[in-house]
This record gives sequence, C-alpha cells and structure tokens, in this order.
Amino acid sequence: MSAKPGTILSGLGVGLFPSIGEVLVIEHSQLIPEWTKSTKTPEQELLELRDAIAFVANQLDELGAKAGGTSADIFDALKTLLEDDELLEVANSNIEDGWSAAAAFGKAVDEFAELLKGDPTFDERVADFQDLSKRVQAKLAGIKLDLDLPSTGRIVLVGEDFSPADTAQFTDAVVGVVTLKGGPTSHTAIICRSRNIAAVVSCPGASELANGDKVLVDPVGDRVIVSDDVSLATRAIKFVPIGSNSLIPVRANIGSLDDALAASKTMANGVGLFRTELLYLSSSHEPSIEQQAESYIEILKAAPAGPIVVRTIDAGSDKPVPFLNMPAEENPSLGVRGYRLLIEHREFVEGQLKALELARKESGREVWVMAPMIATVDEAKTFSDLARAIGQYKVGIMIETPSISLMIDQLAGVVDFVSVGTNDLSQYLFAADRMNPSLGALLNHWQPALIRSLAQIASDAKKAGITSGVCGESASDPAFAILLAGLGFKSLSVSRSQVDAVHNALSSLEIADAEKLAQAVLQATSAEQAKATALQGIGVR
Amino acid sequence: MSVIQGEVQVLDPIGLHARPASLIVKLVKDSGLEVLIGKPGEDAAKANSALRLLALKVATGQTLVVHIPTEDQSLATKMISEIQEILKGE
Repeated sequence: MSAKPGTILSGLGVGLFPSIGEVLVIEHSQLIPEWTKSTKTPEQELLELRDAIAFVANQLDELGAKAGGTSADIFDALKTLLEDDELLEVANSNIEDGWSAAAAFGKAVDEFAELLKGDPTFDERVADFQDLSKRVQAKLAGIKLDLDLPSTGRIVLVGEDFSPADTAQFTDAVVGVVTLKGGPTSHTAIICRSRNIAAVVSCPGASELANGDKVLVDPVGDRVIVSDDVSLATRAIKFVPIGSNSLIPVRANIGSLDDALAASKTMANGVGLFRTELLYLSSSHEPSIEQQAESYIEILKAAPAGPIVVRTIDAGSDKPVPFLNMPAEENPSLGVRGYRLLIEHREFVEGQLKALELARKESGREVWVMAPMIATVDEAKTFSDLARAIGQYKVGIMIETPSISLMIDQLAGVVDFVSVGTNDLSQYLFAADRMNPSLGALLNHWQPALIRSLAQIASDAKKAGITSGVCGESASDPAFAILLAGLGFKSLSVSRSQVDAVHNALSSLEIADAEKLAQAVLQATSAEQAKATALQGIGVR
Repeated sequence: MSVIQGEVQVLDPIGLHARPASLIVKLVKDSGLEVLIGKPGEDAAKANSALRLLALKVATGQTLVVHIPTEDQSLATKMISEIQEILKGE
C-alpha cells in the first residue's frame, strides 16, 4: 500500500527547513522467538552460537569506537562478559542437554544474572548483560535489532517514535523524520532539532506511508505531503533584522566540549544551559574534583563569549549515573532526581560545585550555577547557601515544577536568577509524561496554559527583582521566542543549531511589538489558535 | 606442579566490578595459566571468567587469595602485583 500523491498528513513540525526524501518505514515489533529444543546436532548449534557471539562482539567494538573515551571502556568490559569462557561453557552444556543455541545462551545468561543478583555494583550492568543475550538470540533468529540505515541517498524515516538507541544510528542519509506518536519535546524532536533534520511528530496519518513513497516533510506547515515538489513547502518565516541587536540575549544550550566549540561559531551570547550530566553518565567511577575541573576548564574556555549558566547534575533513575547507585523507581520523572540527589549525594554535588569554582578561576569566565528540579523555597535557599559558600557565582534555580512557579515572589534575595525549563514544566503542569508518545499534543509549547504560566513567572520575577530566562526546547522556535521576549523574559537559551535563527527573529521587531503580540496570544484558548495568533502578529499567513 | 599463592586487597571504592574483572581476565588469559582467585577459606573461582569473579561479590577492603599454578616465583610475584594494581581502581 502506498499513499496517494498529494495526500496531506498533519502533525507538529520540528525545524525550519523542508526536505524531500524516500520513505523508509521502521518496524520495531519483531519479537525474539520462544526457547525451543534443538533440531540440529550439538556441534552445529555450538558453531552457530560462536558465530552469533562473534557478530555481537564486533557490534560492541563498533559502538565502542564510535563512542570513544570512557564509554569505549564500558563496551570493552561488556565484550569481556559476552565472550566469557564460563558463560560459553554453561551454554554448551545446555546445548548438550538438547536446547537450541538461542535457548542455551539465554538460559546461561539468566543463570549468571541470578548468581550476580544483589550485588549493587553489578545490578547496574544486568540490563546491559540481558541486552547482550537478546542481541545474540536475535542474531540466531535472523532478526535485525539495528536500523541498518543506508549512508547515502535521501531517506525520510517513518515510525511510531525513535529511542536514543535508534537516533544514535541516524546516518547522513536521514533528511527527514516522521513519527506517528511523540511530541515536540520527545527525544526524536530534540535530536532532529539539534541535527537540523526536518521532522514532523505526532502525525498519526503517517501510517499510510509505505517504503519508497516520495514525501515532502514540511515542518513549518506542521505537515507531510506525498509529493516531490519542494515548492509546496510552507515558506519559513523570513525575519528581516531591523538592527543588529536582539531584543534579549540569545544563549546556547550545550552538554559537551564539541557543543561549546560549535556554539562559539554562532551568534550566541554565552551559554544559558550547560547540561553537566553528560560528563558523568558514561563513567563508572566518580571522577575526582581535579578531573571534573579539567573537563570544565576546557568547556568554559571554548564556550561563546558571555556568561555561562551551568546546571548542576540532573540525573534520575531514568538516566542514572553509574557511580551514584540509583535504585529503580516506579515514576522516575516524579522521583529522586536533580536537586533531590542532594539528600543522598550531598558530597557529590559539593564536589561538582568545587570543581566549577576551580574552573571558573582558571578560565576567568563568568559562571552562573543553577539547580534543577527545585520544588520549594527552602530547597532554593539550601542550594543557594551551599553554592554561595563554595564559589563566587550568580546563583539561580530552574523553574520546572508548578509548585515553585507559584512562589517566585518569595525568592527575592534568595536567588539571583531563574530559568524556566519548559519541557519539564509542561510535563508537570499537564500531568503528561514526556516519555509517553501518545501525549505529544499536550506537550505542544503553544498550549495556552503553559503560556499563561510563563507570563506569570516572568511578571513575578520582575516584581521580585530576579532575572528570568527560558532554556527549554520551546525557546528554539523563533516565533515562540518572540512571544517569550514579549512576556518579559530577559534571556533565552536555545539549541545551538537554532541560535542564529532565534537571534534573527528577535532582531526583527521592537519590544513593544513583541509585547503586543504576547497580549494577543494570551487570549487564545487552544494551541492552534495561540500559534496562529502569533504568526499573524509577526505578519505570516 | 606446585601452586604459588599470594594475597591482594580490593582498594577500588566500588569493589570488584566489571571493568577490573575484565582486566584481570585479560591478564590471566595472556599468561595461559589456570589462575584461581577467591576469598580466604572459600572455594576459589576460575580467573579466566569475569562472570565467576563478579559472582564472588567482593566489596572494597576485602582480601583475596590468588592461586597461580607455576614454579616461577618471579612470574607469580609480577602477576600478583599486577592484579593488585588493577584492584586499586582509579
């Protein structure tokens, strides 16, 4: 089945530029077959098992080479487990008991996993170990777990939604992505925005598309068109700068040295969100303060001129830091994460702040620090006292929980600044899990309730004499950035690929125009209406 | 063949985990010897298997006995000190 030429499928656009390519539908539902007894000789089964193990070991080598650094060491350790002599011996004895190679290996892995259970240092690795088992069994059953994307051509991937493991495999041939589910803050959307891949998410109609269909991904028009005529694309809003100054500073979001270097080539005025957890997620040991400082110094020196706002570690049981030993939780996004780690891991957070202070002195840069996931004024006070005792930086907090958004007036004198994380604020405000691909529409940043919350935060912060900014994905949308300036925010921080586009948009009008636009948008009753009102105010139809 | 025994202590702050275990396995396999490692007074595990080593569930501070089937004292001493080095962590 193939979609009829000219068919228009609506969704939520991500990015500013259209792109045309051939559809490649990704199905994820193939299951590993149940364990069975063998129909072959034990020698044959063992041979096939050895081949499958060698194949997966090779995959691990490739993943390790791609990841590099500490992550490469982790893949190397996993490979040692996969190729373990004793594991093969147990699997072989299962084969001799009459099991197929896949069953024999799966049982052997289960046996060791059981033996190792309860050891906190290994519990973190059990999932990886079971994943190896799955990969070997999939290889034996002839199932592909990898996307195996071509590296040339122009393909538009179509699927339910894509996981981090999937997006890590995107090749340069991926020029467009369409997901049936997933919202504008889904992992897929974030990756596509940062890599400048045209995407339309929350597009249920895309199930009509078949391999080989030529489609136009039109993010500005929030739609996919079955056509190879690029002239059908909705024109990106053309902002004509009226001066060289943006209404408010546009900073860049970074998470690594590479990001910092790339951001310094943009018009970014400093860094508005430095996500520090990336430095820790792949290390199995807690790095010393000196080691941390070394990484920070490099990144601070490379960052674009201007202040650098560093967010202290934002890990949780859904993105665990190996050495912090974070137990599984029923609801990771409502669990012990961000600032809440201070309860169990105060020393680690103190170490991070100390490393940042060393890096601040060494690099000579202006550093601001902020804590994620603050829910009460007391928490803000505790963090502020801790940070001010350790270093000379401006101290702030993220506004992500509705609870703290109602207490901003009480933060006067406690913090110097607040920065709104719109992704999480949306998730908590709408009680809609960011990870649930069916709830994308509620997480649309044009939702009027989110806009009203933002208006309140900006106005309360102003009254309290606190600088306010926005660092969520929403600020990367140039039209939304104008709205945020109009609501009274004093700075924005956006994906580095969007810095120049947002800067242009904010240089194209006067603050009074942005304020007028904001007042009009605040009257909207739906996300569609809010967006349409904003676009009308900017002069686009 | 006689077996030379030596003691090592796990100093790595998170115990004997996957990475050091895999380093020990590499060392042992390179030697071609059937080295065993265990807690004092308990059954020792084959040190050519990281999984067996991990199954010992060794915490920081634990002393381990290394059994090396060789008569070459200098080889054994070198190997024990190399294993000790791995168990220091980073």
